[in-house]
Amino acid sequence: MTAVTDEFERAASMKRTSLDSVRAASRFLRRLPMNIVIVLLLVIEIYPLVWIFLGSFKTQSEFLNDPFWTLPSKWDVSNYISAFTTGNLGQYILNSVLTVFPALFLTLALGVAAAFALEILVWKGRGTILLLFLAGVMVPGQMVLLPLFSIYFNLQLTGTLWPLIITYTASGLPLTVFMIATYFRAVPRELFEAATLDGATLLRQFWSIGVPIVRNAIFTVGLVQFFFLWNDLLIALTFTSSENLRTIQVGLLNFTGQYGAIQYGPLFAAICVSIFGTLVLYLFLNQRVMKGLAAGSVKG
Amino acid sequence: MTTAHRRLRRLAVIGSVITASALVLTACSGGGSTAASGGSFTMLALQNNTTPNDTLAALSSSTCQAADKAAPLKKDADAQTQHDQKLQLLAGQNALPNIFVGPGTPDLAKQFISGNKLVDITAELQKEGLQDQILPVAQSTIQKLYGKSDSYALPNELNIEGIWYNKKIFSDNGIALPGTWDELTADAAALLAKGIQPFAGDGKDGWPITRYVGAYIFRSLGPDALEKVAQGKAKLTDPEYVKAANEVAKLGKAGAFGAGVASTDYNGGLNQFLTGKAAMDYMGSWALANFNDPKQNTVGADNIGFMPFPAVSGGKGSIDQTPANVGQPIMMSKSKFGSGSAAWLKCIAQDYGNVALDKYGVVTGFKITKQPGNVPPLTKVVQDQINSSTSSVLWFEALFNAKATTVSQSDGGSLGNGSLSGSDFMQQLQTALGQ
Amino acid sequence: MNSVLASRRTAVLLVGPALLVYTAITLVPIAWSFGYTFFSGGLIQGFTFSGLKNFQQFLTDPNAWNAIAFTLRYAVIVSVGQVVIGYLLALLYIFFLRRASGLVRTVVFFPVVLPTVAVSLLFQRMFQLTPQPGPVNALVHVFGGQGVDFLGHADSAFWVLIVMDIWRSMGFYAVLLFAGLVDIPDELIESARLDGAGGWSLVRRIVLPLSVPVLLSSIIFSINGTLKVFDSVVALTNGGPGNATTPLTLYMFQTAFAYGDYGYGSTIALMLTILCLIVTVFIFRGSRRDLTKG
Repeated sequence: MTAVTDEFERAASMKRTSLDSVRAASRFLRRLPMNIVIVLLLVIEIYPLVWIFLGSFKTQSEFLNDPFWTLPSKWDVSNYISAFTTGNLGQYILNSVLTVFPALFLTLALGVAAAFALEILVWKGRGTILLLFLAGVMVPGQMVLLPLFSIYFNLQLTGTLWPLIITYTASGLPLTVFMIATYFRAVPRELFEAATLDGATLLRQFWSIGVPIVRNAIFTVGLVQFFFLWNDLLIALTFTSSENLRTIQVGLLNFTGQYGAIQYGPLFAAICVSIFGTLVLYLFLNQRVMKGLAAGSVKG
Repeated sequence: MTTAHRRLRRLAVIGSVITASALVLTACSGGGSTAASGGSFTMLALQNNTTPNDTLAALSSSTCQAADKAAPLKKDADAQTQHDQKLQLLAGQNALPNIFVGPGTPDLAKQFISGNKLVDITAELQKEGLQDQILPVAQSTIQKLYGKSDSYALPNELNIEGIWYNKKIFSDNGIALPGTWDELTADAAALLAKGIQPFAGDGKDGWPITRYVGAYIFRSLGPDALEKVAQGKAKLTDPEYVKAANEVAKLGKAGAFGAGVASTDYNGGLNQFLTGKAAMDYMGSWALANFNDPKQNTVGADNIGFMPFPAVSGGKGSIDQTPANVGQPIMMSKSKFGSGSAAWLKCIAQDYGNVALDKYGVVTGFKITKQPGNVPPLTKVVQDQINSSTSSVLWFEALFNAKATTVSQSDGGSLGNGSLSGSDFMQQLQTALGQ
Repeated sequence: MNSVLASRRTAVLLVGPALLVYTAITLVPIAWSFGYTFFSGGLIQGFTFSGLKNFQQFLTDPNAWNAIAFTLRYAVIVSVGQVVIGYLLALLYIFFLRRASGLVRTVVFFPVVLPTVAVSLLFQRMFQLTPQPGPVNALVHVFGGQGVDFLGHADSAFWVLIVMDIWRSMGFYAVLLFAGLVDIPDELIESARLDGAGGWSLVRRIVLPLSVPVLLSSIIFSINGTLKVFDSVVALTNGGPGNATTPLTLYMFQTAFAYGDYGYGSTIALMLTILCLIVTVFIFRGSRRDLTKG
């Protein structure tokens, strides 16, 4: 890309004459439609967020009676407060945190270990097992829901968050194993062979050499998995049987106020909390997220 | 070797600490529901109807104080659209709560009864000599619903249904009270011509629209018309039945339920009527709580009138067969029925009706032993109508299986905005009934 | 070389836990689910053996075919839309914005990480008609139309769903295809420009043929996801109005958890899996042929 740009710079500098102002004007006009396209693009990306944000400060009657473009009359945060109290948003966030982070930790721990064994170590059957994990990426979640439900019911786990944690761990494994294995493939085998000759056991090598080498990949994969799990709806919907077990996504879906009516203010406030939370995380790590998600699909 | 072991051990320790703390935290947050089943009395109600939970709470500090002390009341509620599903799951785990609002589909309740999951209320009340606390009208409606002579449900609501109308809109526009369906549709056309929405419409839940279909069928084909369908003696796709759906679809296409009917939810529909945007609302008397609330009702309670669903000329039904139901009646779980629940049942039978009427203006199927002095006029209207009806009929989906009920409710909106024809509607229903 | 890194014990120790969890929570349920397809019933009523009855039912069930038709229609339109618009955006980034593309790329990408439920609720409000017209209906009014109940009619609900999912994911495909386009050697583009090619013909003759591999893998990835759509549909329309926007995934969910028929529900899930496999293999084969033709 830089080479192309340089080429343009060179060409442009060669043509710097007094005709430049005319050229500049006509270039502006030529680029105008594209610039309009860009502006439109940014508007359709950002406007919905702005609208939701403004809406989260409105009162119920403003929603019911005033047109959508009126600004809220007051900037009070009562909608946010009632989202957390009546709407139980705090409990939902807690549930999301309690299910996603342990599952993430477990997925990464088990997945990296498995990837190391499958990619670096040599043993019979590793190809088949790798394919087995790959198959897991293809199969839709619906295939496993019903039997899992029976399993958890028989183990008497259905009133807790355990079904979610366990299922989330398992659902993240195939992709984690696959992606980390791909990164391990790029690591030269000689590194490990040399370490073996130095007397280190394979287990020790995994811990002291393997893991640090793919540290970056672990972080990226962890980030990608985090978004998958945090935004999951199917698994959460199936295994949360009562209101105090709901995660954020299921909670938002059923977000009703005191009389089962849609209280628009708190609803918008809850949507905002949900959106801006992930947004902040994304803004800090956006390069990694983009590369990670892209890498995951290209290699798949 | 040893360093590797030490590292592994460290990892194991870290891992188990995290897992253990996660365990503790999940036990604290998620275990709330399981821990509560100990000595408590858990009630699972619906989010859009707070009266059962509120009435039980009021009872827990008055008549049921002793029962509450022995088995403290715990209240939970979920969305109507997921309630049946949840009850199915809980029943399968033998974990139905002590007391709960019954499923929306009577078919599911029948499964519960035959699966021995429910307390036989009639038998338990007879033990205490309280069987007369349930009004005969309520008892017979419950019998019709579930097909059992004993009642397995408590009639915490006795609702009659009909068309509520805005007196001012009618008088301002010179609309007369219709006595027949044709007069009703003529009135609707007249209102539409003046730019007034004739009927409030909750198409999102569907059943407010399909009520019109059911009521028309009862009026034109007689009170056992839908029972015949349930027994297979008739089909919804028979022309006389399809006519009912077509009549409603005609109204829908003309916009009689409002333009956004398919996306309007229950409270949206009520809001339309109570703020004067719609002239009429087919609704049951459970909505009296909303009608009597001046914050929601801006047209004034004395501005609202009641008319029974009109007759269909030449039909086999009559106008004094009032559509009635017991709402989603409260049921009790047999597996959790002990002395704690029995004590609660006793005081509920004795006083639920009084408290519900006095505090929330809700008419129940319980005998009123203390008629409150300040009964709102609309509630009096309902009580009078109950006393003067000779017999009751159920509603459209009353005897459907779960699938047909869902299809009917999810297609109600499309019927109400005219995008689904009456014959297609009935066709889909008959297919679902067949499965 | 083999013997040094070959240690069965270590391998078992490292792979064991993951394999155990995976087998118990994924592989066993898949087989179990397959077993369910030969039974009917659920948790309350119990299970009764019914042989191939579920499959017969599936073949004659109008709702099932409705769901398949919707799933395919949705998958094709959204996949094509995502990839085409993503490709156009990628071209925009490379040829028009160049250095400034970083900011726009970031902005266009972020809907990808937003929770689907939040986005669906947002779109519900944006397209609403009652109680107050939302922004889109206001736009309709400006152009002289009457308000449209977008989510209350089958066709318009379908398109709202499409628009929403493309809005949400086009940034992702833009970045994906951008990464692929960046790989195109600059010399090729330079020499094409010197030969007089510009604008569209440059794209058509040089860039497009060279981006075929990354386009194909994007389409495969996209179809894999869109065939399994669940979250956006549930949150936006819940399959409505009626069952007009019910994909196979939702139909399975309803059958199992709303009607309590686990046997038939598992059958639907199996059909969905088979559909996914068929489509992916189909496209994969098609892409192989293209690549060998060169």
